[in-house]
Amino acid sequence: MKVFFEQYFDFHIMGEHFGEVLEAFFQNLLIFLVAAIIALIWGLVLAVIRQTPGKGLLPLRFLTIAYIDVLRAIPLLIIILIISGGVPFITFIPKDIRIPEWFGKSDPFWYGVAGLVFVYGAYMAEVYRAGIEAVPKGQMEAARSLGMSHLQAMRHIIIPQAVTKIPAPMLNELISLLKDTTLVSVIAFGESTLVSREILAERLNSSALILTAFFFLVICLPGARLVDILIKRNQAKITRGAHIEVA
Amino acid sequence: MAEPQLRLKNVHKRFGKLEVLKGVDLDVDKGEVICILGPSGSGKSTLLRCVNLLAPPEEGEIFLEGQDICKGPGSGTGESSWNLDFVRQRVGMVFQQFNLFPHKTALENVTLAPVTVLGKSKSEAEEKGRALLERVGLGNRLGQYPETLSGGQQQRVAIARALAMEPHVMLFDEVTSALDPELVKEVLDTMRELAEEGMTMLVVTHEIGFAREVGDQVVFMDGGVVVEQGDPKSVLDNPREERTQKFLGLVLER
Repeated sequence: MKVFFEQYFDFHIMGEHFGEVLEAFFQNLLIFLVAAIIALIWGLVLAVIRQTPGKGLLPLRFLTIAYIDVLRAIPLLIIILIISGGVPFITFIPKDIRIPEWFGKSDPFWYGVAGLVFVYGAYMAEVYRAGIEAVPKGQMEAARSLGMSHLQAMRHIIIPQAVTKIPAPMLNELISLLKDTTLVSVIAFGESTLVSREILAERLNSSALILTAFFFLVICLPGARLVDILIKRNQAKITRGAHIEVA
Repeated sequence: MAEPQLRLKNVHKRFGKLEVLKGVDLDVDKGEVICILGPSGSGKSTLLRCVNLLAPPEEGEIFLEGQDICKGPGSGTGESSWNLDFVRQRVGMVFQQFNLFPHKTALENVTLAPVTVLGKSKSEAEEKGRALLERVGLGNRLGQYPETLSGGQQQRVAIARALAMEPHVMLFDEVTSALDPELVKEVLDTMRELAEEGMTMLVVTHEIGFAREVGDQVVFMDGGVVVEQGDPKSVLDNPREERTQKFLGLVLER
């Protein structure tokens, strides 16, 4: 038992490396923040393209659906490795994009962001889609009958209603995204997983990993509770709505 | 003789293999109120949705103020043609289920399209919106959200919303069917006033009394065709066709 505690809960080692691991964890938060903002927008763009009407945009719609399906089917880790392992060597891409070092962040940071955005954009597009499809058909018809274009109707009528229906599943995606920032450690980005693994290798002790797990717990647990609350509230709203319709 | 405000010629509409409209001809003069009756599934609502191209016809022609609004037989869709804007800004529609925007107040429901589509200024649109809601008797409900309004009030907001686009023709698709009986009258009264002001109206309805009193013409549809058409008295009191007689018998029995 003592061995177990020494291996995982050596408070001495935790204390010694606390600042280091916390700083690395901030890198997880940073990569999460950047990837989440871009993915939320990218997902919405994909979802809106997916819902466009008319025959003319069929190829674009097809491409979007293919993108969403494919990116959801490939492991994120593989995507990250494919990007970081290949993009730097594709010489016809301008160097600033091939080896990005924007805002003082290293290229692994941006490869990680790219991988997360590509994959989570696809996941989030599906969440948006569920929200859009939950808006009654009559809303679009009413907007169109008033002369609004499809995009105007989307922007003013459909999307504002759609996003109120999806905070719970979207928060799930965000929690998942935060946890998946640890995968960026495989391309030598100095976030908390990489740092605690280095400590493990150096001290032959896992306490830093437990510390990292603890940091994620502190951030994600309230998030998970919040999802539950949002789901309950949404259900209450739905039952209320159903009640009104019956009455 | 002036050309009709709206002219339908041999309009066909299919949904997959199901042919809902099997060649409908109809002329509507300016200021005329046409009430369309018929059993469910007879194509009444589809006919209205053809006129504002929510469901463009596959075959036939629709002329609005002399303009052919369908791209041409067989093209199947009016989307992306200039005719769509032409139509939607001249034809207003009110739906059975109101379809008010739940995240907008009564006033915002009325002002949104004039601002986004016609490019009116917010203050101009609000002034107009206020006047319109006043006119349908809801001047004191401007800031309320649809869910806090009764069905009849919601439907009157929906009428004001359609009127805000200054349509030349108004389509009413069973607008009182989803209402509690005591709320029907307020909506019909609003429509009656509109008719008296000279609005051209196509009204799909089961309110025989309204058709008799307000309608200039009554059209009876069944099976995707116009079975009988004429002034309300002759169609409602002395129907020539057996199908009309049968339908009116069932409806008036109640």
